[in-house]
Amino acid sequence: MPPTPTTTPRPGLVARAAAAAADRVEAVGQVAVDAVRAAVELWGVFVSTIAGIYRGGRPRGEIVRQLHAIGNRSLLFITVTLGFIGMVMIYQACMQFMRVTGDLSQIGLQFLPLIVSDFGPTLTAMMLATRVGAGIAAEIGSMKVTEQVDALRMSGVLPVDYLIVPRFVASIVMTVVLSTLGGAVMYLAGGLTAHYQFGVNTELFFDPELLRPAHLILGLTKAVAYGAAIPIVSGFCGLRAQGSSEGVGTATTAAVIGSSFAVLLLDLILSVIAFVLFGEQLR
Amino acid sequence: MIELAAVKKRFGRHVVLGGIDLEIPTGACLGIIGPAASGKSVLLKVMSGLLRPDTGTVKIDGADLTSRSEEGLAPVRARIGFLFQNYALFDFMTVGENVAFPLTRRGGVPADEITARVAARLRAVGLGGNEAKLPSELSGGMKKRVGIARATIALPEIVIYDEPTAGLDPVTTSKVYDLLRADQQSTGATVIAVSSDVDALCRFVDTVAFLYQGVIRYQGPAATLADAPDPVVRQFVRGELEGPLEG
Amino acid sequence: MLGFVERTVTQVGTTMVTIAREVGGIVVMTAQVLRALVPPSPASLDGRELVKNLHKMGNRSVPIVALTAFFAGALMLVQSAPFVEKLQAHALAGWASGYAVLREIGPILIALMFSGRVGANNTAELGTMTVTEQLDGLRALAIDPVRYLIVPRVVAMMVMLVALTVIGDLVSLVGAAVVGKALLGIEPATFYHSVVDNLKPGDFLHGVYKSIAFGGAIAITSCYFGVTVKGGAVGVGKAVNAAVVAAAVSVMLLDFFMTYWLG
Repeated sequence: MPPTPTTTPRPGLVARAAAAAADRVEAVGQVAVDAVRAAVELWGVFVSTIAGIYRGGRPRGEIVRQLHAIGNRSLLFITVTLGFIGMVMIYQACMQFMRVTGDLSQIGLQFLPLIVSDFGPTLTAMMLATRVGAGIAAEIGSMKVTEQVDALRMSGVLPVDYLIVPRFVASIVMTVVLSTLGGAVMYLAGGLTAHYQFGVNTELFFDPELLRPAHLILGLTKAVAYGAAIPIVSGFCGLRAQGSSEGVGTATTAAVIGSSFAVLLLDLILSVIAFVLFGEQLR
Repeated sequence: MIELAAVKKRFGRHVVLGGIDLEIPTGACLGIIGPAASGKSVLLKVMSGLLRPDTGTVKIDGADLTSRSEEGLAPVRARIGFLFQNYALFDFMTVGENVAFPLTRRGGVPADEITARVAARLRAVGLGGNEAKLPSELSGGMKKRVGIARATIALPEIVIYDEPTAGLDPVTTSKVYDLLRADQQSTGATVIAVSSDVDALCRFVDTVAFLYQGVIRYQGPAATLADAPDPVVRQFVRGELEGPLEG
Repeated sequence: MLGFVERTVTQVGTTMVTIAREVGGIVVMTAQVLRALVPPSPASLDGRELVKNLHKMGNRSVPIVALTAFFAGALMLVQSAPFVEKLQAHALAGWASGYAVLREIGPILIALMFSGRVGANNTAELGTMTVTEQLDGLRALAIDPVRYLIVPRVVAMMVMLVALTVIGDLVSLVGAAVVGKALLGIEPATFYHSVVDNLKPGDFLHGVYKSIAFGGAIAITSCYFGVTVKGGAVGVGKAVNAAVVAAAVSVMLLDFFMTYWLG
């Protein structure tokens, strides 16, 4: 029987594997290209936001409204979550110290610098990344898919100036404020746990002797960096939303992940820089 | 005069506009029709600089939109009024603030004049006295009319309507088109309207362009649309089941 | 002044009522899920939905969880670095960071990331189905949405968060070891012995038990806010926001109670 001329010869295993690998490489390459493009756009949003602070063009009173939405309305959330985590941390630390040295007098002394330079701002920001990040992305994403962002542009408004700049400013201020509050709540809750659960003297616990200016500088720098990163990442995700309700959902999800991740990344970078710069003073 | 030359736009692998050449003279009234997902809304957004074409040029009175930055587009957009498909009313503003927005943004208009013009415009669209309501308190038809009021308040030289009557009942549709016609006659603006309701649209516009798969298949007087030589156009306009139209 | 007091009281009261209503709804949903699963029967769980969700929620979350865990481990080591330097106690570094990571930071950070990635996505998906009336469509076909949609998701999230926490624990120890070598010059072998000699299986299990509870909490809250969405795209956005907040609060509360309970 003569071979039918229309069928192509079946490719060999190697050829098929090579084709599959090429597809895979192409897919990975596409992901990398998209990621780089997104990073460039994200940077663009950041630069444009900084410029937008001076350009003006935001609605009057919007920063105050955002301060309220981001700050006041997160008070309960931050107090509850950071309070509980403060109790848990001290509980765990006390258990550990009991197992090893049995000496709990150093707990509070060591805890305060850690709160000020890291746990206070970082855990507050992790919490804000979910609440504020999701909120910003949901609001801006909804406006994007209902064409309100386009309507702004048609009226000669830059969406970054109108939507992101007020949230950016408010978020930086409020992350600093809430980090201070969150850190204080953690410290207090930890102290009470140490006192009532393990009988640690409160005067011994609340001794700030080991706190150094370097801790305060590092903590403040982190709070400002997180406060800046959350609205930029979330606003960027919101402005990229497409489609309808699925698009808003996807944007909100991306904002939570993106801003939490930004917080962790900044924490690592800033902590390492601080350790290298003034490791001595952080002890 | 709006000129589009060889405009192409694609999203990912999907080609939405496959080379559009179009000239719209000043004061013209053009309708754009075509099946769903034929690129009508994208075409409107390219014309107004909201979307940047991949290749080709868009010029309004000689000014090239494609080479301008977002800030550079502002003076061009100040001459355009845009009614969005889903109204795009700002849900955090009252109806009055929504309609006033194009004026307040541009500045230079005193506050009491803005109030007067907003009231007049809302009366013209049949919604006088609703300034203090929020968009969420309005029905679809009312939102559409607020959108029209916002698009036309600054007396733009070019008005773009994306589906001005979608989802409206026939009586309201007629009212909306009467309103648009009265507006156009009093201001002499260039009007571009997109609609899937061919009959109602053709009673309003002078010329139509038929868009199919990202290409213009017919351009000419609305009256002769049903006798167009292109079978795709004829089938769509007559609503026939058999024919070359896909999907 | 009086107006301010009145406004504040009204606001606090409204907030309390809202919280009470959401908590009640979440409890009801928990009861519905339990009733579908107890007593276990083949009809109580749609197998195909379960497998689909296991893959979607678990496998696809491995990269983000691994990255988070690596960071968490690295961070804990950086935090302990000044003390390790001060005491010249390189042998303690692995133990100190490992203890914090396995019992606390690892499970919490992984749960928060899981809530953001999977929980939020789940709320958005169920929310979209709700606003497009797909849930009513299921009911019209006499299919119980709780059994068909929610139970498989809850089971999948609980199973997968545990699995991801186990993976994350390992990765975070690697992260701590890498940074320990880079920053303090601690040899990986020293680090390994520090971990193995000082940490007990109980420390590891402590975190794993917590992740079971976290998975359940994230699953129930995300499903609850998904099926109670009202009002289109705006509603979906708000629901996702509420879901991640509720998940974060319940993770923190559960962490507290589990820590005391597990000792």
